[in-house]
Amino acid sequence: MKLFRCILLLPVLFSLSCGDVLDKQPLDKLQGENLFSNPEGVKLYMANLYYQLPIEDFTFFRQGFNWNTGDPNNGGFAPAMVTDEAVHTEFGDFIGNDDFQWWDQGYKLIRDTNILIDIIPTLSVSEDETKALVGESAFIRAYAYFALAKRYGGVPLITSVQKYEGDVESLKVPRSTEKETWDFVLKECDVAIQNLAESWPGGERRATKWVAYALKSRVALHAASLAKYGERAPISGTAVDQKLVGLDKSAAAEYYKAAIEASETIINSGKFSLYKPSPASPEEAAENYRKLFEDPNIALNEVIFIKGFARPGAGTGHNYGIWYQPNQTANGWPHPGRMNPTLDLIDAYETYTDPGKSAPVMTTEAGNDINDYNGFSASKNYKRYDDPAGIYKDKDARLWATAVLPGTAWKGQKIIIQAGFIKPDGSAQLFGGEPITANGKTYYPFGAADRTQYSGFDTWGGNNTRTGVSFKKFLNEGVNVAPGWNQTVSDWADFRYAEILLIYAEAIVESGSGKIEEGAKALNDIRRRAGHTKDIPLTIDNVIRERRVELAFENKRFWDLVRRREYHTLFNNSVRHALIPVLDLRVSPAKYIFIRQTIQRLNPATFDYKQYYRYIPGVGSNGLVQNPQY
Amino acid sequence: MKKIKLYIPVFLLVLTVIACKIDNYPAPDAQLYGTFLDAETNEPVEQDIIRGSTIEFIEHGYASQTKQVMIVKNDGTYRNNLIFANTYTITPVRGNFVPTEPQEVTVKGETQLDFKVQPYIRVKDVKIEKVGTKVVATFKLQQTVINKVKKIGLYAHPEPAVGEPIRTVLADQEINTVSDPNKIYQLEIDVPSNSSNLKTGNQYFFRVGALIDAPESKFNYAKAVRLTL
Repeated sequence: MKLFRCILLLPVLFSLSCGDVLDKQPLDKLQGENLFSNPEGVKLYMANLYYQLPIEDFTFFRQGFNWNTGDPNNGGFAPAMVTDEAVHTEFGDFIGNDDFQWWDQGYKLIRDTNILIDIIPTLSVSEDETKALVGESAFIRAYAYFALAKRYGGVPLITSVQKYEGDVESLKVPRSTEKETWDFVLKECDVAIQNLAESWPGGERRATKWVAYALKSRVALHAASLAKYGERAPISGTAVDQKLVGLDKSAAAEYYKAAIEASETIINSGKFSLYKPSPASPEEAAENYRKLFEDPNIALNEVIFIKGFARPGAGTGHNYGIWYQPNQTANGWPHPGRMNPTLDLIDAYETYTDPGKSAPVMTTEAGNDINDYNGFSASKNYKRYDDPAGIYKDKDARLWATAVLPGTAWKGQKIIIQAGFIKPDGSAQLFGGEPITANGKTYYPFGAADRTQYSGFDTWGGNNTRTGVSFKKFLNEGVNVAPGWNQTVSDWADFRYAEILLIYAEAIVESGSGKIEEGAKALNDIRRRAGHTKDIPLTIDNVIRERRVELAFENKRFWDLVRRREYHTLFNNSVRHALIPVLDLRVSPAKYIFIRQTIQRLNPATFDYKQYYRYIPGVGSNGLVQNPQY
Repeated sequence: MKKIKLYIPVFLLVLTVIACKIDNYPAPDAQLYGTFLDAETNEPVEQDIIRGSTIEFIEHGYASQTKQVMIVKNDGTYRNNLIFANTYTITPVRGNFVPTEPQEVTVKGETQLDFKVQPYIRVKDVKIEKVGTKVVATFKLQQTVINKVKKIGLYAHPEPAVGEPIRTVLADQEINTVSDPNKIYQLEIDVPSNSSNLKTGNQYFFRVGALIDAPESKFNYAKAVRLTL
């Protein structure tokens, strides 16, 4: 009976409960209309869009962007390690199908941007502010679609917020052609250029007219190269038949023209220049170049767009400072030393005495064996050095600022990189083994007794370089980064003037149009900043070599190989190479010799045609045409 | 209480029984195999097992039209022992032969399907020998299309699957001309200067290949030869 009475109470309870419970607004979140009614809210929203921007910075690698939240442990893998710039100390991974995807995140950013674009006309802000918002949102959308186009080719162009009204089919937008997609990105750049101001009043790191021009030059060069060189890697399939991937060769001219015009506008504006453009010596050039990346804020004349890493912590710091120190300066971090610049990159740097060409490192007096990677040969007459960095003497200053060379000083320590020794009897003991005594002195295989005292070739912990040099660019010599996640706070230069000059030079030489002398000047200005005194002519080889060395490790090489369709030629069952320093005990006092050889424990890598496009995720539900061979 | 104790297991048992419909879908019950044959000479057309010619097939009766692929062994044969009996549209693609039309094939039980193709190039009169410290290959090329020959190569590997994609040492040469059927091409690999990959006394497989200049074309080969160095 009691139970019955309780049941009677239920309707009363129900009637009480039916307030607006389900319609209540959360107290800890801003509602859309409130957010945009307040200029501060718009700013907040904009900050979030910038955060999502696919900037290929310190926190970008094959699995995505902003890899500095949650678990940021990526083993120290960097995009450079799937190119000829570097290898990882341990991992031999090349490019997998799931790598370098950016689909869901891309369309999320585009949707978030479209929400803003749709709402701009309704905002009660001044005309100038409206213009800036229009420009910024176009810039962000251009940046996002650029990231999509270079991965997938033609993609669905969604330019306003889609609303679900019960019909899923109506939300499905087919892919546009690759041509339409690139044209759309360039058009968005133009909208940004027309609406953005030349600077922000407080010097904020937000898009300006010049950043938009810079983006446009990068985009146009990318598209132009695809059009010009697409035929180097022909593919077939439905996506090709429908022109969803691939550009006609005839499109190259207009894109190169757009690249020339955009970069020329930046150059002629007089707003930008190279940081310390005429050093007195290569040593000075090396120091200037190193500082430029240690803190790009010292060079605001050169840096066009910066992404800041403001304070240590998840989402705000990054991990270059722990992963890439030489082993000797690990500062307590258990796995340093993971970026190993290759000999293939080292070879590309010019010398000062014989400029204008790559200068492969000669290890023997004969100098006729640069393609011999078979290891030590007792019959060869190796060049001997007291100072192991001596072999790099005369090489471009930027090599010295990009890599920690054996025997050079870093953070007050002499960095020891040694692969072993040649015993007095002429036999080689490489990559380990017991110490030996010769000429009354004990010699250790890796150059020192304790594993904290050297930085090369010991496999322990995957902490020692296996290419013969360690990594330096971007690392801060004066700061000891705490051994924890996201503790590095150096800023990333996303666009700098040197890249604009190189885009200009490349577009001129590739299209055979524009002012050739100006293009040559752009190229040689950058070389002059690196301590070169002899000008070289504007040729495509000179420009590409200059890109490799000037922009090394700025995550450009991957896309350069993609857009110029050179990946499959460079990586066709290909191994990468090391220059190993070896102590030669056949002479007294012992001296260093160097051996060119393939990198230990690294498998050959091959890039397949189909990899020029990533697969489109979720074709089963989104109904899109898949890219060839996926 | 006792009753409940009894009910619960019975109830669970009933649930278990009705939950599991017996999976009576058939397993793949057919086999498809065959060989790429030179339409003129009726000899097998040598292939690459990775990054070589592929066979695309679409199973009928499904809306998705998903392409599945098979790869081909070096000797030009292929075999799929786990395929459903059904009708398929089968097309060899991205190969070392003149593209062929898709064909509808009914696969049932043990089904043989050979592809008669026109290889782009026939690598003929091949001699691969050790001469002194070198491995020397001589051969002739007979091309069946008017395109240029892009490249010729001599490839070495410890495994018989040797080819352009699977090799530790190569000697190749860009040709970029239409080949002369009477010309004897020669390629050589110097053993001492590849001492880290070619060790004296060991056996290696050597194979000669040539690549036509056509979109997505693959190498044509002669049979691999085993040599003791």
